[in-house]
Amino acid sequence: MIPVSNFLYLAAILFAIGLSAVLLRRNALIVLMGVELMLNAANLTLLAFARAHHDLRGHAIAFLVIATAAAEAAVGLAIVVGIFRTRHTANIDEVTLMKH
Amino acid sequence: MNPVRATVEIGPQAGMASGALILFWVFAVIAVAGALATVTRRNAVTAVVCLVGTFFAIAAEFLLLYAQFLAVIQVLVYAGAIMVLFVFVVMVVSRGEADPLWKLQGPVTKTVAVLAMGTLLWRGWHALRSFQPARIDPPPTGFGTVGGVGQVLLGDFLFPFEAISILLLVAVVGALVIARHHHDKDKAAQP
Repeated sequence: MIPVSNFLYLAAILFAIGLSAVLLRRNALIVLMGVELMLNAANLTLLAFARAHHDLRGHAIAFLVIATAAAEAAVGLAIVVGIFRTRHTANIDEVTLMKH
Repeated sequence: MNPVRATVEIGPQAGMASGALILFWVFAVIAVAGALATVTRRNAVTAVVCLVGTFFAIAAEFLLLYAQFLAVIQVLVYAGAIMVLFVFVVMVVSRGEADPLWKLQGPVTKTVAVLAMGTLLWRGWHALRSFQPARIDPPPTGFGTVGGVGQVLLGDFLFPFEAISILLLVAVVGALVIARHHHDKDKAAQP
C-alpha cells in the first residue's frame, strides 16, 4: 500500500507551486492557473484523508470543490476578458484603476 | 496465523503494493513537472497544455486513492471543460510577456519572502511529519464509486449539493454579463 503521507507531500508541493504562481506571476491567466493548481492540491489532500479514514464525505467535499472551481474559472476568465477589452492588458500590475 | 498462510498473503500483496508505489511516483513526477512548467512558461498556451498534463496525472493519483468517480470528474471537468475555457481565453487575451517572469523589489522584500517561505516549509514539514496514520486497510466495497459518493452527496450533503447548482447558474449568468460585448454603448457612440 502507498503511505497516505506520500499523497500529502505531493499535495503540499503542488499547493506551494500554485501559490508561487499566484504570488509571483503578473499574467492574470497564469495566476488563475495557479489557483486551479492550489484547488487541486486541496482536493488531493481531502481524498487522501478520506482514504485514510474510509470516509466518503471527503469525496463529496472534493466534488463540491470541483464544481466551485468551475464557477470560479468561468467568472475569473470573464473578468480577465472584460479587463482586456477595456484596458488592453492581462498584466495584473497594470490594473490599478481603483488605486487613485 | 501459520507462517505458510502469512507468506501466501504477503506475496501478491507486496507485489501489488510496489507496483502501486511505482505508479504513484511516476504520476507524482509528471504532476510536479507539469506544475513547474505551468508556472515558469512565458507562453500561456504552453502553460495550459502543461496544466492539462498535471490534471491528468492528478486524476491518476485519485485513482490510486480509490476515488474512481472523482478521477473521472477531474478529467471531465478540469482537463476537459475548464482547460477548454482557458484555451479560448488565451486565444482572446494572449499577448507575449516581455517582462521578466517575476521580480522582487528591494532587499527587504526578498528577506521577508525568504523568511515567510522558510516558515511555511518548516511548519508544513512538521505538520506532515506528525501525521502517522495507522495501517491502512483496503477500503470497503463501494468506496469511491458513483453509488457510494452519490449516497453521501444526496444524504448529508444535500443542501450544499443544491446550493452548488444555484452557484453555477449565477456564475454562468455573471460570466456572460461581464464578458459580453457592450453593443449598446457602441451604437450610442455611432451617429
